Amino acid sequence: MKAKGKYFTIYSLIIISLSIFITLNLLLGSVLFPVKDIIAAIFGGEAPEYVSNILFSHRIPKAITALLAGAALSVCGLQMQTLFRNPLADPYILGISSGAGLGVAIFVMGFSAFGITLSSSIAANVGIVVAAWLGAFGVTLLILMVSSRLKESISLLIFGIMIASVTGAIISLIQYFSSSAQLKVFVVWTMGSFSGLSPTNIWIMFIVILTGFAMTVFNIKDLNALLLGEAYAKSLGVNLERTRRSILVATTLLAGSVTAFCGPIGFIGIAVPHIARMLFRNADHKVLVPATAILGATIMIIADTISQMPGQPEVLPINTVSALLGVPVILYIIMKSKIT
Amino acid sequence: MAGSKYVNSDNLLVLENLSLGYNKTIYSNINANACAAQTIAVVGANGTGKSTLLRSLCGILPYRSGKIELYGKEIKKYKASQLAQVVSFVPSQSPRAKNFSLFDMLATSCYSRTNWIGKIDRQDSVKIEETLVKVGLEGFGKRDISTLSDGEFQRAAIARSLVQDSHIILLDEPTAFLDIANKITITKLLANIAANEKKTIVFSTHDLQLAIKLCDKIWIMGYNGFIQDTPDRLIEKGAFDKIFKDSLLKFDPNLFTFV
Repeated sequence: MKAKGKYFTIYSLIIISLSIFITLNLLLGSVLFPVKDIIAAIFGGEAPEYVSNILFSHRIPKAITALLAGAALSVCGLQMQTLFRNPLADPYILGISSGAGLGVAIFVMGFSAFGITLSSSIAANVGIVVAAWLGAFGVTLLILMVSSRLKESISLLIFGIMIASVTGAIISLIQYFSSSAQLKVFVVWTMGSFSGLSPTNIWIMFIVILTGFAMTVFNIKDLNALLLGEAYAKSLGVNLERTRRSILVATTLLAGSVTAFCGPIGFIGIAVPHIARMLFRNADHKVLVPATAILGATIMIIADTISQMPGQPEVLPINTVSALLGVPVILYIIMKSKIT
Repeated sequence: MAGSKYVNSDNLLVLENLSLGYNKTIYSNINANACAAQTIAVVGANGTGKSTLLRSLCGILPYRSGKIELYGKEIKKYKASQLAQVVSFVPSQSPRAKNFSLFDMLATSCYSRTNWIGKIDRQDSVKIEETLVKVGLEGFGKRDISTLSDGEFQRAAIARSLVQDSHIILLDEPTAFLDIANKITITKLLANIAANEKKTIVFSTHDLQLAIKLCDKIWIMGYNGFIQDTPDRLIEKGAFDKIFKDSLLKFDPNLFTFV
């Protein structure tokens, strides 16, 4: 609703902070790099070998992953909030990440008994990703089937929590029967991390997320029509079944692949669309989709910078940091809006 | 316009042995029709299925059996975008998005004729401004729809249908949540639209006086059957007594109300 010129200011501010935090993200870590070494390494100058090694094999891939994941989860949350007309909808709360978790658990701890060794073989990597996608897709499908019966925000959230409990129970059952090595692979996955993705992994993630974004852009018109309720959207000529399907596939591609490669990451998907709405004061998805994507990338790179605990050898699980950043925003939304 | 050659058609909308409902029948044996530029009220007790009828007429809800025909073609055979050009729906209450301008809301009404991202052209932009004037919301285009009063929002909802430019406008209890002043404004607006825009208007209401005064025809969803006729003839037949099951309620043909 603001004039186009005002968006320019907000966008510039976001892009400036995005570049600052990307730089910080590359500089800070268990080893602190001098700025001139980083510039030299990137622009082909003289830099110590350890700097370019760590930079290119570790920090840059990790930053790219974080940017992709942040944008994807946030855009996913935005679409679910509009589709379910529920300000608290996101892949994590609605149990989609739990579904992905169950898929991974079954694959890592269940199917590995049938002969696939998990020592970072390509089969294991692809398997985890596909298992997470299938799990995410299954839960999304389930939510879509019940969402017409669960009109109120709270019921849908309780449904998500129940899904999380059920998958949690099944996962503990699987854990009980699995070996400690398998258990470790799974537990490390659940902590969430942007590091350790091979260039191939990043390419796969990039292409899938790009497909998800492309579908999202084609959903914009329908998302705007959905803002005024399903009955009205249908009378406008929106093909609701097709729209729902299209949003479902886009969100599964986005959330499913992030969860598959980086583990379940909560709260970013709810919080970022709301921050975007507060900054841009416009519910039009033509404005919100790009705004949410770029804000999500920014906030995720901040979370990742914090999680690597500059100067310390330890790394915090990304999920801890995202909860600390996201939960206050969500609490603010609950306090401010009357959610029924 | 897609069907302008039918403007004088007698049977714009035909309902034949229509049964409403999804899993079980809610109301059956509806036989009715609507002609171009007619104003029609749907009356009946709470829970008889007035809303369901209207929602079935615009394809939001499926119906159980019988026929709903628009321009002689069953609505099941219409594509969603074609149907939107013939019939539009104004719900009695809609969710209101925050930070969504009235202009943008009306722009969504051009859904079936805009490009893939929903950008409206010059012509539609002019049409939206003109419609805002028609419904008495001139200069409200930039207002956030969540800040509109109930009466203003109902006018905005009617404006949506005018921008959508469908031949038939269905309204579900357009005045149910409004005070008396807004009720009169909305009623006048509907009468105006029927007279000047040559639209067929079908609305559900509990206000019999209004229905009798304003409408060319009334559809009564009575407790023991469906009746359609002009208000005069319905009064003559004593048909309004059949709305409610309670035999103590008698319709007074002079006061146009129940006593």
